[in-house]
Amino acid sequence: MTQLPDSNYKAPDGPQKYIGKAVKRVEDPRFITGQGHYTDDINVHGQLHAAMLRSPYAHAKIGQIDASAALALKGVHAVLTGQDLADAKVGSIPTGWLLPDLKIPPHPAIAHGEVHYVGDIVAVVIAESRALAEDAVALIEVDLEPLDAVSLGSQALAQGAAEVHPEAPGNVAFNWEIGDAAAADELFKQADHVVSLKIRNHRLVPNAIEPRASLAQYQRSSEEFTLHTTSQNPHIHRLMLAAFVLGIPEHKLRVISPDVGGGFGSKIFQYPEEVIVLFAAKKLNRPVKWAARRSESFVSDMQGRDHESEAQLALSKDGKMLALKVDTIANMGAYLTTFAPAVPTYLYGTLLNGVYKFGAVHAKVTGVFTNTVPVDAYRGAGRPEATYLVERIVSKAASELGMDAAEIRRKNFIQPEDFPYQTPVALVYDSGNYEPALDKALGMLGYQDLLKEQAEGRKNGRYIGIGFSTYVEACGLAPSALVGQLGAQAGQWESAVVRVMPTGKIEVLTGSHSHGQGHETTFAQIAAEEFGIPMEDVVIVHGDTGKMPFGWGTYGSRSAAVGGSALKMALGRIKDKATKIAAHLLEAAPEDIEVADGQFKVKGVPEGGKSFFDVALMAHLAHNLPEGMEPGLEAQYMYDPKNFVYPFGTHIAVVELDADTGHVKMIKYVCVDDCGPLINPLVVEGQVHGGIAQGFGQAILEETVYDEEGNMLTGSFMEYSMPRAEDLPMFEIDHTVTPSPHNPLGVKGIGESGTIASTAAVANAVNDALRAFGHHHVDMPFTPEKVWRAMKGGVQDLGQAADD
Amino acid sequence: MQVQGSHTISAPREKVWALLQDPQVLARCVPGVTEMIATAENQYNAVLNVAVGPVKGKFQAKVTITDRQPPQQMTLSIDAKSPSGIVTATGTLKLSELEGGTTQIDWEGEPKLRGMLATLAGRLIGGITQQQADVFFANLDKEASSPQPA
Repeated sequence: MTQLPDSNYKAPDGPQKYIGKAVKRVEDPRFITGQGHYTDDINVHGQLHAAMLRSPYAHAKIGQIDASAALALKGVHAVLTGQDLADAKVGSIPTGWLLPDLKIPPHPAIAHGEVHYVGDIVAVVIAESRALAEDAVALIEVDLEPLDAVSLGSQALAQGAAEVHPEAPGNVAFNWEIGDAAAADELFKQADHVVSLKIRNHRLVPNAIEPRASLAQYQRSSEEFTLHTTSQNPHIHRLMLAAFVLGIPEHKLRVISPDVGGGFGSKIFQYPEEVIVLFAAKKLNRPVKWAARRSESFVSDMQGRDHESEAQLALSKDGKMLALKVDTIANMGAYLTTFAPAVPTYLYGTLLNGVYKFGAVHAKVTGVFTNTVPVDAYRGAGRPEATYLVERIVSKAASELGMDAAEIRRKNFIQPEDFPYQTPVALVYDSGNYEPALDKALGMLGYQDLLKEQAEGRKNGRYIGIGFSTYVEACGLAPSALVGQLGAQAGQWESAVVRVMPTGKIEVLTGSHSHGQGHETTFAQIAAEEFGIPMEDVVIVHGDTGKMPFGWGTYGSRSAAVGGSALKMALGRIKDKATKIAAHLLEAAPEDIEVADGQFKVKGVPEGGKSFFDVALMAHLAHNLPEGMEPGLEAQYMYDPKNFVYPFGTHIAVVELDADTGHVKMIKYVCVDDCGPLINPLVVEGQVHGGIAQGFGQAILEETVYDEEGNMLTGSFMEYSMPRAEDLPMFEIDHTVTPSPHNPLGVKGIGESGTIASTAAVANAVNDALRAFGHHHVDMPFTPEKVWRAMKGGVQDLGQAADD
Repeated sequence: MQVQGSHTISAPREKVWALLQDPQVLARCVPGVTEMIATAENQYNAVLNVAVGPVKGKFQAKVTITDRQPPQQMTLSIDAKSPSGIVTATGTLKLSELEGGTTQIDWEGEPKLRGMLATLAGRLIGGITQQQADVFFANLDKEASSPQPA
């Protein structure tokens, strides 16, 4: 990777005032006192409401739509159908990542001709109130002729399976591979032992706490649109809606995402409802709002995971891992949404190397259409799927070879001197030191004592399992030129504007977006650190295309590494200029000026400096600036990363199985993560806690189930079980610090590590406990029934189909 | 999911059979019916207001009788649509004479839910069907024992 000298990491010279401090989040008083300002909180004069008629069939032909009864209700302004959008030449919702020979069927905001999943929008009512709109939906008569449907990826590939789209024969969206198959085969020939694993990474519903909502306004005189929407990346919406879907001139569309209550990826994508409210607002010349019911979220928020994989690991007799081969069927759902093709390919196949020194890795992925809600990025996006597979097969290998699960890992780690490390699957890991994290975690756990306790327990009918996940992940996606080569129809740089006001207060505009990550705190820490000014003097502004120059938003743990780096670089520009002004006022050379605690001083002269306020004021008054200097104090930086960043660490879960009920109780969880220097340990801790809980949710509780006809059977919290506080012990978390060498803060993302690591750790722990019953592999989720059956024996190596 | 049940009606088989062929009677007996119109030989359109647990709303139902063997057996297929989803079911009723001028009806059927309904009520459909059947046959029994059928 090219390394530009201007942005490489340099460790701080001395103690830091804000960075590294566990500052309480400045946004929290707003959130915990109910003063957050979310899209659905916004109501404007003349506002109408949209309600969606969603398909009850997974696959059907749309016949006659009779909306007369709905339109006859007083207060109903319009009923929109796919035909209306087609007549107005509204474009298909685009796919933002292309792969060779990718099949992209049309994705109209309102289905036209056919519906392809339960939840696909058939018609829309716009009415004076939400209640009226929903009542009117019930009056629309639609002839839907059911067609054969398919819901499981492998079944969609079977001979004679229902065809989801004529554009994709055999339901294949893409075939993709990475790595050297011949090299892998050669190493398998030399192997003393081959471990096989058939594994399912089941589907998840994202379940952000705030359901999606959108409010569109239109000014007829100026032809300007404003869209408030629950988004992680408002500029991406503006670009897609303007350039591809609605043909609105980009400067006539302002997209604002105000406070957003969680995303986990699900609020990245371009959704039909945003298209619909914008279209309706113009058509009716009235503001139009839509807000999802929770039951709608289950069938309309893009879902996550859903892989069926087979893998083989080749080992020498002493436990050295030689090569890995993986064959994955990735269920893409009914349409290809914004980042969907990237998730099971470049965010998955490239991570199958894990933290190990493999001679070769080869992966083949088949993306498949089914009559289900589309699948796209969900917290971790591809990396949890890769980590679950790699960490599970490594633990299975340890189990089969009778090796210790920690030692087989240690034996195969990439070593510190190997970095930067070129993996066999395209990535170059920037930095890493895996053993200290493992050792620290083992120490926190009291591993040797726990092993004794486990052995004792087994004699007495107490089934403890210890599960490891020594993960690495790639985040902070980039450089833009590289992602472009890989198929992204987007750049992956980030913007920052630092605007110093005459009184020395700072407004930071970032193209990054906070929907729970705490930017208003951590970004303010970065800015305040630069000059030693109070954090209160800094305000962070995000989520408004009308304010910041551009931005690619927040996902893939990119905020700190990319958005934070952009901020750091812009701050450097401010510092340079401010230093020159201060030097001018102090009649000294700029090289002799230093800044600390908000004061510019001549080095070695403790008296008579200029405050940040003095300098900012003079920059604006411009009464006395260096010769030829432009007035004002504002800087912008567009930061394009030099590489991904590669956080890593060791997570260890300890579970105990209830022999009577099959209930899995997690009794201990320790983790040591390395995300480089911590900007705010409290924020990092919050991210790690939430991430672990989310990964635990997949391993033990959550599962999206479709029947064979594509009906979703788990569409409410009655059927879809989310983790609660009582399911989890207090986590013991710690860190090692290995800075990324290529960004100015040295930071690596931490937003997804918890989820990426914990699913595998918990699954390995349950499997470790089930070894007492002769199992080498049981697939997640570990519902009490599945675990109880496994403990009762008779069922060897249960796969996914354990429940009926 | 296959559901079944058995009920005794206090009337002779011919009378029970006749009651089952009368749309007026059915409209009174099926819970929540607000309209029941015979549209053709062996075919009815019905409007039902259902409120059983999570299954709520107005259903537009088409009922077709396919296998009519008076007075002992009939097969019904039901296709009911509501905004929250679709219920389809096929059910068979078998009538047998008991001593004392009463009739036993054995029924079985397989209801299938689609759309949001499948999500909300998938696991409850067996219980809901049983419960609705209990109400229906209790109503039918009342009709059968009333002195002058309407």
